[in-house]
Amino acid sequence: MTTNRLLPEGFENLEPFVGYWVRDTNNERWKQRSLASMEDIRSFYDAMLARAEDAITHLDKFPLDQMPEDAERLFKLLLAIAHAAMAVEIHGQPRARNAKLRNDLNVTQGPWPFGGVRNGGDHQKTIGNKEVG
Amino acid sequence: MNDMTIGAGIEEAGAKESFTLAAGLSTEPVPVDSYISPDFFELERKRVFGRAWLFVGRVDQLPEENSYFVKEIDICKASVLVTRNEAGKVQAFHNVCSHRGNLVVNDDCGTKKRFRCEYHNWTYQNDGALIGVPDQKNFFNLDKKKCGLTPIATGVWEGWIFVNMQREPEISLEEFLGPYGKAYAGVPFGEDHETLVIEARFNANWKLIMDAFAESYHVPAIHPGTLAPGFANPVHNKYARPLSGNTFGLHAAWSAYGNPEYAPPPDSEVERIACKIDTGGLLGSDVNDEVLRLRAHPAINPTKESCWSADVTSIFPNFNIDYSTGGYWTHEFWPLSRDATHWILTIRIPKASSVRHRLQLEHYAARWAEIVLEDVTNCERIQKGLESGAKDVMILQDGEFMIRHMQETLRKWVNAETVADAMK
Ligand code: FES
Ligand SMILES: [Fe+2]
Repeated sequence: MTTNRLLPEGFENLEPFVGYWVRDTNNERWKQRSLASMEDIRSFYDAMLARAEDAITHLDKFPLDQMPEDAERLFKLLLAIAHAAMAVEIHGQPRARNAKLRNDLNVTQGPWPFGGVRNGGDHQKTIGNKEVG
Repeated sequence: MNDMTIGAGIEEAGAKESFTLAAGLSTEPVPVDSYISPDFFELERKRVFGRAWLFVGRVDQLPEENSYFVKEIDICKASVLVTRNEAGKVQAFHNVCSHRGNLVVNDDCGTKKRFRCEYHNWTYQNDGALIGVPDQKNFFNLDKKKCGLTPIATGVWEGWIFVNMQREPEISLEEFLGPYGKAYAGVPFGEDHETLVIEARFNANWKLIMDAFAESYHVPAIHPGTLAPGFANPVHNKYARPLSGNTFGLHAAWSAYGNPEYAPPPDSEVERIACKIDTGGLLGSDVNDEVLRLRAHPAINPTKESCWSADVTSIFPNFNIDYSTGGYWTHEFWPLSRDATHWILTIRIPKASSVRHRLQLEHYAARWAEIVLEDVTNCERIQKGLESGAKDVMILQDGEFMIRHMQETLRKWVNAETVADAMK
């Protein structure tokens, strides 16, 4: 089942957010949100929140790591709302108080799937993950 | 919720014995030179990291025969190769070739029985033996038996792998862990967990970030949105006081309060969606079998409060194992220099089982990343403050007993000529 649509049918209204918010890893989603303006975070948050339950219902039809491309995009978009929530629901600003985004702080391995895996760039290996590899 | 179930009395002064006095610690102000003095740092390098047992990884990182991983320990200027051979033996070596000293293994981890140095192709087995030397005849009386990889003293406790950089360790891992090792033996770790890793490198002394996990006093101020709602309660535990605190020789632990009344605020709609399943502690899961087994262990939540959320346990000098209702997490606080640190936070959580569960894990990871950012930026500010020389001492309250214990232990190790003296 392949399709050229960006998102599954019925989720067209979220397509304007795909370019910025659909990212492959936890770390990238976190950084995108940290760099965004509060206004942009808010508009993504409002639009995605309104469709979050629908998205979960749609995505539940597929195995977590084997979704058609359009569904996978929707999944990543859904995951980004967790980050938007940090800004909207917790901080009331794009980042933690008194904090700037920094390159020396990273989620080097996020939860499976679409969490991202640590690569050879950092030699301080800790616990390996058999599943992601 | 009645008072009995939410740690009645933690707010009243004197309702609990002082952790500081119970541990036999001083109550005086504590000198701050250990965070800024270059001389102290050199002594830490030699006498603490050079002589203590250091955490390098967990046996899960060696999932099968012939698995290996490499751990860089910058403070000891060591590249450490940790292997598991066919017989299951875990052994660490200096990742250094006996020919002319090149690093032998250049990737992070994998499965290999043999390692070939890329400079001149000397080859070693994963038990350290040198088994191949090209053009061996052109050497002078080369005794291959004497030219294996240099082993590093290695010990495994409850699946955690430790090394000791002394050629002949003055103290065994068992003695080193002492009462801690006995108290926490057999704590059940969750099965089929997956790993979340957050790493930060920042400009502050390694102990400043360690201190931030030694107490919860700072939680309401530094983490008002991310942590405070779950770890303090405006009525029952406004200042996020610990539930218990203990020392175990070189090591120490405290139990964190968890606000039993915590629920996502009404306008936290994403949190509500994400936590529809598996609700419970802010960073945790609900009371499932795994949590019940954990709570049943005598060392965990030792005062057996129902408002317990996590135990933070600190293994000297730079490793924390924290047991919580949502899995467990570890911290490695590695010094890079006197005022630079590599902090590795490894969180083990149940693997995503549904889309909603996966969203919850993303929310959990996102929250942790915010907490880490809050702590890192704060540590850099403290380093600046201390470097100014404005203060010679810090003033610690009872909930900060673990910082005091660490400072006293550290000073013993730094001042002692032998480990036996340090252990007195
Ligand atoms: S240095 Fe390793 S083979 Fe020469
Ligand atoms: Fe903190």
